[in-house]
Amino acid sequence: MPLDTSTYNLALLRVDGRRWNELRRVHAQIRTQAAADGSSYLEMGHTKVMCVVTGPSEPGPRRGTGGGGAGGGGAAAGAGAKAEVVVSIVIAGFSSVDRKRHGRGDKRTLELQSTVANALAASLHTHLFPHSQVNISLHVLSQDGSLLAALINAATLACVDAGIPMTDYVAACTAGSTSTYAANDEGADPLLDLNHQEEQELPGLTVATLGESDRVVVLVCESRVQVSRLEGMLAVGVDGCKQVREILDRVVREKGRRMVQEGTVEKGIGLNEMDVD
Amino acid sequence: MPREAEPSLNEKQFVIQALQENLRLDGRELDQYRPLELSFGDQYGLADVKLGKTRVLAKATAEVTVPYTDRPLDGIFTIATELGPMTSPAFEVNRPTETEVLLSRLLEKTVRRSGALDTESLCLVAGQKCWSVRVDVHVLSHDGNLIDASCLAVVAALRHFRKPDTSMEAGVLTVYTPAEREPVPLSWLHSPFCVTWSFFGEEGEIAVLDATWIEEQVRVGSCTVSLNKHGEICQIAKLGGTPVEAVALLQCVSVSLTKVKEFSDLLDRKLAEDLKRRDKGGFMAELRAENDR
Amino acid sequence: MPITILAPRPSRPIRADPEDNVSSASDTDSEAGGVELDGDLPMTTRPSKRARLTTSTASDIVTPGELITDDPQWMRGHGTYVTPATTAIISSVAGTITRTNKLLSVRPLRARYTPEVGDLVVGRIVEVQAKRWRVDVGSTQLASLPLSAINLPGGILRKRTETDELQIRTFFAEGDLLVAEVQQLFADGGAVLHTRSLKYGKLRNGVFVAVSGTGGGGGVVRSRRQVWTMDAANGGGQIDVVLGVNGYVWISKHVETAEADGNSKAAGITNMEENVSTTMYSSQNDRIEVETMREIARLRGVVTALVENGLRVDEDMVMRGYHEAVEMAMVSAGGPDDIYLGGEMGQQLAAALKGT
Repeated sequence: MPLDTSTYNLALLRVDGRRWNELRRVHAQIRTQAAADGSSYLEMGHTKVMCVVTGPSEPGPRRGTGGGGAGGGGAAAGAGAKAEVVVSIVIAGFSSVDRKRHGRGDKRTLELQSTVANALAASLHTHLFPHSQVNISLHVLSQDGSLLAALINAATLACVDAGIPMTDYVAACTAGSTSTYAANDEGADPLLDLNHQEEQELPGLTVATLGESDRVVVLVCESRVQVSRLEGMLAVGVDGCKQVREILDRVVREKGRRMVQEGTVEKGIGLNEMDVD
Repeated sequence: MPREAEPSLNEKQFVIQALQENLRLDGRELDQYRPLELSFGDQYGLADVKLGKTRVLAKATAEVTVPYTDRPLDGIFTIATELGPMTSPAFEVNRPTETEVLLSRLLEKTVRRSGALDTESLCLVAGQKCWSVRVDVHVLSHDGNLIDASCLAVVAALRHFRKPDTSMEAGVLTVYTPAEREPVPLSWLHSPFCVTWSFFGEEGEIAVLDATWIEEQVRVGSCTVSLNKHGEICQIAKLGGTPVEAVALLQCVSVSLTKVKEFSDLLDRKLAEDLKRRDKGGFMAELRAENDR
Repeated sequence: MPITILAPRPSRPIRADPEDNVSSASDTDSEAGGVELDGDLPMTTRPSKRARLTTSTASDIVTPGELITDDPQWMRGHGTYVTPATTAIISSVAGTITRTNKLLSVRPLRARYTPEVGDLVVGRIVEVQAKRWRVDVGSTQLASLPLSAINLPGGILRKRTETDELQIRTFFAEGDLLVAEVQQLFADGGAVLHTRSLKYGKLRNGVFVAVSGTGGGGGVVRSRRQVWTMDAANGGGQIDVVLGVNGYVWISKHVETAEADGNSKAAGITNMEENVSTTMYSSQNDRIEVETMREIARLRGVVTALVENGLRVDEDMVMRGYHEAVEMAMVSAGGPDDIYLGGEMGQQLAAALKGT
């Protein structure tokens, strides 16, 4: 279904009525599952993702690898200095318009898993947990563009909830460009946070940054685009990541504040107190 | 599964310290590729790329099949990668490792999704007959930077490939053998190439091109940029790893463009050489009386 | 950011979505960068300890990546990190700041249990090895229980023999529950347990509940007494409660064997052990009356209700909660046998406990 991009130039409004630099509604919750070590639920527009983190914990005795004992043990000792981040993604059959079965061996899913795992591993202080594993399991309930960004954000929130030390939030969002590749329009504006329709039609990329810095953890571009447009898209994307970080941070703070009020967590010392004596 | 032996801590530190002094173990500059050798086979569509000790062979083939029902006007184009035990005992048949999955996804995105091959031109009879073009990538030896080498091999193989000529007359499809009619090249739109950057250092501040196997073992992150010589990005993949400054990434992309132009020139030159080798003086030269019998 | 964005002509600053601003307080907080909060805290200028007790705002919470202080006089503790070449201490978890002299650490809102020497823990055997067991204690790593760290049957304290090694599974097998104490810690955080006391050993005759441990958040807290025996209502007899510091809880029928020996306590520990050792590693439950079972289940309900409603789990709360639950059951439709404490009943219970 071709998207009528010509209207953008008239009203400077996108198909869903947003301006170029507006995120969709981001709604997030943490601690959605009481039994898990960490859990989160995140909506970016109509993209809905659920995340459960188990660990860091030591995987129990592995079945079936008993034969290769000596060799495997030696190798595991070398790899055991850091916690391993293992991600599994389940894309629900009902998540997109066309009901498609996504097998576990789907290469795109495998790529997403590896991307989320490597992105989180860059921020998590895995060296604190030798011999252990952090299992992140993500469930995609609904897809409307910016899937990778939503997955990364949900995983970050769940890891914060699980109390796993990390350098900073890894926040992600997408950025695009208003006119299609073919239009070769030099004056194309950058766009923030693409939905499914825009993602299909327009060039775009997914950016994830570490905290409030400009340091890019993930940069994925899967569409053809002039190299000159990259800078603008990247700048908007990085800016969007900072906004997303702010939103995620607010969710965590709100939860923490409520826990302090309820008395579940003992109050800490005020920040201002420290510098006094 | 036999595992690849990991480099020792001392080995790793040596490589990293050398890089911090702008020194690579094989004496290259940070943004210099290893000697790149590209050769074509006797058959059409066989390309062999050697990048230092890394060697990749790509073979393109075509056959007539039935198109997918949901895309009756398009031909079929597939890229198959195989990292077998021949490459390294760590790779097993029928159990794709993460390396293999990422490699095949990258090739897919770079060559197939960027529309390098015009799949509509592969259609013979709408909804009934079409060409199915398949490229098999065989990694013969792995010494780092598989992605760039494989991508170059795939593009070279496809551009070198000739498919049998066909004609449609009164609803009858004829496929000519090479003896009847000279095979025709594929309808090729643009040539994308991958350039992979490896990052080193605490903050990922050292960017290096064409990492060898040992460098790949110690790098903290990587970013693959696919471009064509017209300055169009086909794909960028920095899949996690240590964060890198956005400005440094932009810098990488612009350097990549010059590298891609070099690749493109190399491929054009090699293709022209190969054509000259095959076509000694043209058709008329073959018909001369002074030729040997 | 060195890259500047040229905005298309009409642009407006992004509106913060009203649905995301749960309260205006948290909004101003995040816009101020989260650290400087002097604006809305009138008390903070006064350097008194009382000030911080009254200002319970979001400022008590730090989140990952937040700068705690860049004053070099502080030392970093758990939950923080220092970037190379700076003295800034940055939080790595979401939680509250605690200070021990010059050591700053952040206690996470919730985390896995981190073992400390002397902790009383309840654990489950997950693996049996040649000379030790691997025990899940809800920590980031499995704890290990060496064969030499248990009371071997046979009465006297003796060295372990090869026979003991061969029949290691007769003491503890996979899946068995036990109560133990953390004896020492490895450098990487792994714990070594021991059960060399009559208080410790295999758990029987009861029910296991896993709640969150002392890593942070609600759950079991370290306190003076983690194990006690109580008199149950409604003719339930006596019940033992073991609150493992790691958040694993064991509630069981009190067995009299140890008590029967009570008079011989003075006679020496070897004598006692002789009597106990026969039943020590038994995997058979004793007969438990229905009344006792019901009260055990009620206690379990109390513990889960406490956790669900974010209350701490310690002896005082469990006992008060239990009495409250008995009272509630008296007046409920189901009568004293009604032990359901989920949903609204649990909230009612929590509210009653908070109120008193």
